Amino acid sequence: MLLDDALVTLNRAFGVLRRRNVPIEGLALHPSGTAGVSRLTFVLKADAATADRVAQQFHKMIGVRSVMVLANEDSTTEAQR
Amino acid sequence: MSEMLSGAEILCRALVDAGVEVIFGYPGGAIMPFYHALPDHPQLRHILVRHEQAAAHAADGYARASGRVGVCVATSGPGATNLVTGLAAAHMDNSPVVAITGQVSRPMIGRDAFQETDIIGITLPITKQNYQVQDVTELADVVAEAMAVALEGRPGPVLIDVPKDVQNQKIEWHPPQKPRRPRASARGQSLTPGAGPGSLEDGVRAAARLIKGAERPLIMAGHGVILAEAYAEVQALAEKTGIPVITTLLGISGFPDGHALHLGMPGMHGEVHVNRAIQHADVIIGIGLRFDDRVTGNTASFAPQARIIHIELDRAEIGKNVPVAVGIVGDARDVTRRLVAAVEPRRCERWLEHIRGFVRPRTEAFRGDLSPETILASIYEASHGECTIVTDVGQHQMWVAKLYRYERPNTHITSGGLGAMGFAVPAAMGVHLARPNGTVWAISGDGGFQMNMAEMATMVQEGLPVKMAVFNNGYLGMVRQWQQFFHEKRYSCTPIWSPDYVKLAGAYGIPGYRVKQASELADVVGRANAEAGPALVEFVIEQEANVYPMIPPGGSLSEPIEAEPAAAAGH
Repeated sequence: MLLDDALVTLNRAFGVLRRRNVPIEGLALHPSGTAGVSRLTFVLKADAATADRVAQQFHKMIGVRSVMVLANEDSTTEAQR
Repeated sequence: MSEMLSGAEILCRALVDAGVEVIFGYPGGAIMPFYHALPDHPQLRHILVRHEQAAAHAADGYARASGRVGVCVATSGPGATNLVTGLAAAHMDNSPVVAITGQVSRPMIGRDAFQETDIIGITLPITKQNYQVQDVTELADVVAEAMAVALEGRPGPVLIDVPKDVQNQKIEWHPPQKPRRPRASARGQSLTPGAGPGSLEDGVRAAARLIKGAERPLIMAGHGVILAEAYAEVQALAEKTGIPVITTLLGISGFPDGHALHLGMPGMHGEVHVNRAIQHADVIIGIGLRFDDRVTGNTASFAPQARIIHIELDRAEIGKNVPVAVGIVGDARDVTRRLVAAVEPRRCERWLEHIRGFVRPRTEAFRGDLSPETILASIYEASHGECTIVTDVGQHQMWVAKLYRYERPNTHITSGGLGAMGFAVPAAMGVHLARPNGTVWAISGDGGFQMNMAEMATMVQEGLPVKMAVFNNGYLGMVRQWQQFFHEKRYSCTPIWSPDYVKLAGAYGIPGYRVKQASELADVVGRANAEAGPALVEFVIEQEANVYPMIPPGGSLSEPIEAEPAAAAGH
């Protein structure tokens, strides 16, 4: 996810994860390469529909530039279970 | 030649420029520069409340009744934290409110200064956006942006925290010019599970096909119908197709109650025939609602036969609580208008007959014949059905939702999502200011009324002719009802003492009345309604009456409690 590099925006994003009880396994914050924009990556152990629901909550957040859901081996298995 | 203005003056000017006419607030240390500047801006009418919670609820009521932004103001620390319940209510019910809070001066922030609190941190999850203004040069832009953010898309509250020294900073005034950042929007999309996003037209066509093939279709109209003013469109859809209409708690008054196709309210206290209709429906057209748990009961058994068409402005709501067959992201009015054009005319007579077979008679008995129906009918008669009703939270709220006859759009205002007791009285003050030529009745229980009854002083000081109805049963009635049903009748801490409301009103200089018999209703309610100023009527009602039917929390819509639990056990 790309979002404004402002503490309050990051705080709001983490708040969405906490408030929606999103099962987070890992979290990483990096500069995005664009001034004023951070890249936030988090690992979510959930099925594809849950991941999409979380992504939709971020899409409507002010300060969020883009959100991508990337499936990996684990999340694929999870979705098929 | 440009003038030198302080941050406080800029704040006032930005509010005037945004078209604000009324603000609800309470002064204090960190917001004093703003209050110093305020008298120079007579376009801003300030309503001095008795508690900041009331300022937030009043701004919310003003916003819901007017469709414009409601503004509330408080000082830092306790002033700001007192706004929190009102902001949470506005957030849950999508009401455009802008809250302005004072903050300690910038050099003091983070030092646990007197009346310092992290209101930005506190309100993060209950606002659409919040801002702490770091420099006076940002202030005018922040106000303009906050007003726009509160209203745009799915409305909601926004908070602006202004440190005291920023209010005192002086700069050369330039009107705001910075264009606001455009926001991405998923509006005008359709979503078919498995097929990914499509166009709006795809979604409307798919919905029309489902409606054509349906034998038992239903329209569920939510708050989005009122927010989008989609009244004519929803009525046209119902009349072209003969599909019956259900209105959720916040959708009430989005469709006329007296209409032949109107069924009533669904959910926890919905009528049996309404919930049965949901459980038998094969297609549900949900317009502007979020399928809240109070509407669905247990989602696993909700509408088991129905394929759901969900029309909703907020993409994140589609598929959040219930699976949908067709999701359409867009404004309720725009999408419904397109759907009306796309559907073929049809009738649903057999289905309506089927639903009529589900209707149950009401059986409760009330002392002195003072039933909720007769009380509400007397308010309807006295106001010729033309008032706005603001309800609080609890049994009376459900009685009003089920029994009051709403014919005019957006005349029912209540705290639905948050369910905040104490809402009705201050919110009704906001409704009056939005609709100064109409009558507004604030209906509360004896519990909720006592939470914010100090606002009677505000009504007197500011000349707000709110009519207050207090349903007094001596209990926190809805909690008592749950104790009766689910907690072995242990009425723990629910009996509640009340003052003499007639004398209390008198102490404020407000005419007060008490009604104990139905025979007194027409005269007393008529007189209260005709008072030029505020008036209070206490209705002394049956102490242990229940709201029936009731779906137990987490239960299925198919299994309502329809009578006393002992009698219902055999069901």
